[in-house]
Amino acid sequence: MTLADCAENSAVKSRHKDEVVLVLPNKPDYVSVARLTVSGIAGRMGFDVETVEDIKLALAEACTNAIKHGCCEESKEYKVKFGIEPNCLTICVSDKGCGVDKKEICGPDFENPKEGGLGIFIIDTLMDDVELHQVPGSGFTITMKKNLGV
Amino acid sequence: MSGFENHYENNGGIWTMKLKGEVDIYTAAEFKKQLNAAIEEKCGDIHIDCSELEYMDSTGLGVLIGALKRLREQDRNIRLKNLKPNVQRLFHITGLDKIFILEV
Repeated sequence: MTLADCAENSAVKSRHKDEVVLVLPNKPDYVSVARLTVSGIAGRMGFDVETVEDIKLALAEACTNAIKHGCCEESKEYKVKFGIEPNCLTICVSDKGCGVDKKEICGPDFENPKEGGLGIFIIDTLMDDVELHQVPGSGFTITMKKNLGV
Repeated sequence: MSGFENHYENNGGIWTMKLKGEVDIYTAAEFKKQLNAAIEEKCGDIHIDCSELEYMDSTGLGVLIGALKRLREQDRNIRLKNLKPNVQRLFHITGLDKIFILEV
């Protein structure tokens, strides 16, 4: 029995969502910790190697976004929550900043490529479902889902 | 391993920089510094050997786009060599494989 089989069995038996939560300092130093964590979770759920790489990249873009735009005086940290279901991994990255407007997200401009602003575009491309949620005065959350076996 | 190392080889006016490990928000500033130093100090094109580059995200792309703009103003270019599939995929999904010269 492989690790993925074990994970599937335990998730099917429990029929509920497991959660793993990371609270990370608002510093570039720890984005690699989020990447390692999601590699472990997604690999154990049974995603193939290429999809694990995609999820890692999408999460790193969300963390980078949180560090660049999510810092405020009251909060020096951001939160990454992994929701683990038998056929779906949901990742929420929450910060206390003002976030970005999805309407303003566009693909790269080939005539005049910019040095920033690709993060949300990359997340949107790699994940199955992406929602940006802004609560004024409270913070910004990116929720992204990847379905298993689709 | 995190971080990266650079090796310069002056070979017929082409400068080769070798990236190792990961380029992310943590290491991108150092990458930018090293790349800009190479652009300023030397003439000719810059080749980046990515054979030991395990991971890169949009922060690394940002550095490369900035460098490409500066080089093109001087009729110079960047060539990226030996990309691993995950790094190649980043260029593909962003469409930047149409702007950069990639040698897989």
